[in-house]
Amino acid sequence: MITMNKVSKHYGSFQVLTDCTTQVHKGEVIVVCGPSGSGKSTLIKCVNGLEPFQSGEIIVNGVSVGDPKTNLSKLRSTVGMVFQNFELFPHMSIIDNLAIAQTKVLARTQEQAREKGFKLLDRVGLRAQAEKYPGQLSGGQQQRVAIARALAMDPICMLFDEPTSALDPEMVNEVLDVMTELAQEGMTMMCVTHEMGFAKRVASRVIFMDQGRIVEDDSKEAFFDHARSERAQQFLAKILHH
Amino acid sequence: MGYNWNWGIFLQPTATGDGTYLGWMFYGFKVTIALSLSAWFIALVLGAVVGILRTVPNKWLSGFATAYVEVFRNIPLLVQLFLWYFVMPELLPENLGNAFKQSNPIVQQFLSSMVCLALFTSARVAEQVRSGINSLPPGQKNAGLAMGFTLSQTYRYVLLPMAVRLIVPPLTSEFLNIFKNSAVCSTIGLLELAAQGRQLVDYTAQPYESFIAVTLAYLLINVVVMFGMRWVEEQVRVPGYIGGK
Repeated sequence: MITMNKVSKHYGSFQVLTDCTTQVHKGEVIVVCGPSGSGKSTLIKCVNGLEPFQSGEIIVNGVSVGDPKTNLSKLRSTVGMVFQNFELFPHMSIIDNLAIAQTKVLARTQEQAREKGFKLLDRVGLRAQAEKYPGQLSGGQQQRVAIARALAMDPICMLFDEPTSALDPEMVNEVLDVMTELAQEGMTMMCVTHEMGFAKRVASRVIFMDQGRIVEDDSKEAFFDHARSERAQQFLAKILHH
Repeated sequence: MGYNWNWGIFLQPTATGDGTYLGWMFYGFKVTIALSLSAWFIALVLGAVVGILRTVPNKWLSGFATAYVEVFRNIPLLVQLFLWYFVMPELLPENLGNAFKQSNPIVQQFLSSMVCLALFTSARVAEQVRSGINSLPPGQKNAGLAMGFTLSQTYRYVLLPMAVRLIVPPLTSEFLNIFKNSAVCSTIGLLELAAQGRQLVDYTAQPYESFIAVTLAYLLINVVVMFGMRWVEEQVRVPGYIGGK
């Protein structure tokens, strides 16, 4: 579904990604972790072309992201993305947030879009909030709306960029529950997250990054039980000890 | 003080026999309103376009927009007015320049003033639009693009609706400014409000009454603008957002 081949990126002389190679198959849930500044978010943003890269290639569902001839908007409409800071559109009601791209990008009618929106809000338990505005919801609720908004486009895969990092601790689980459910339904997912519990429960594979390189790319059992690199061992020791 | 107050002056017929002095004032008032509103409309459209261009990734477009803003923001308004009124007609193609110079002087003065105020103000509006767009969280643009919107759709549906709301207060002060700046146009002979005030002094030797009336008229305009813009602000307020309900 997603193939990355020797993807490299630099800002001026600063190397952000170096030769990142990996694959995500249909139905897989990949957790990307690593220390801050290791390039996780950049890597995931390269997948839908939000971040350009200088060399290597990324193929999503048979389409090359880096090819200048690729219609990026069309590609992005098939790849759902959830952001750290939710990024709902503050001037629209919740239901309009879910409907707008369906009508403007997928050319669905307003009725179809709203119906789909209501179904998805039901699914994330927020049907009652449909007419409210993002600013009137809690962080956890906003993030669930953001997931529903991405799902409204019927994506072939979902990207999560630290979806729980900006949340109050007590709201983390409501978001992780939605993600877990999604994973169990067979959605292809690539998640940048520090939630190792989530990784242990639902990940098919774990990618560990450090200084712009993919250091480990292994099944979750192999990663958590005997990470090969020293850097990953240190990381796990720190993150699992509290 | 020995000054002879005479508020009745406004109702007296003018020395030139074209109505009353109040009529002169009212004429000037109408010119000021017509000039400022037409210039404001142009400034809003141009300013929005230039402000948006300043934020787009294309270097040529944003470079052009930056140059535009710097030119019209950094030349004194009075100098710009003289350039439009005295110099521009000479630079136009000959038949167009002649047509301009042979037109009604009032039309010449009004057009030059309108273009001058509009472009000067558009540079300032552009800066507000740019800062409005730039003050949005950078993730908003990404969120729009990630949904499959094109860049222009992202501006239209995501960035601009919020940016415009954020800049209503600074735009209010630009709107007030354009009425006040329009007084500069009296220097090329346009008989707007301030010019009528001065003309009244020349004809009646009642400067206090004249300029008190002018002051009150400007005050009236600005109070109306302020309340109007406050109403706009209420209408576009986003629930749950900063300053919202």
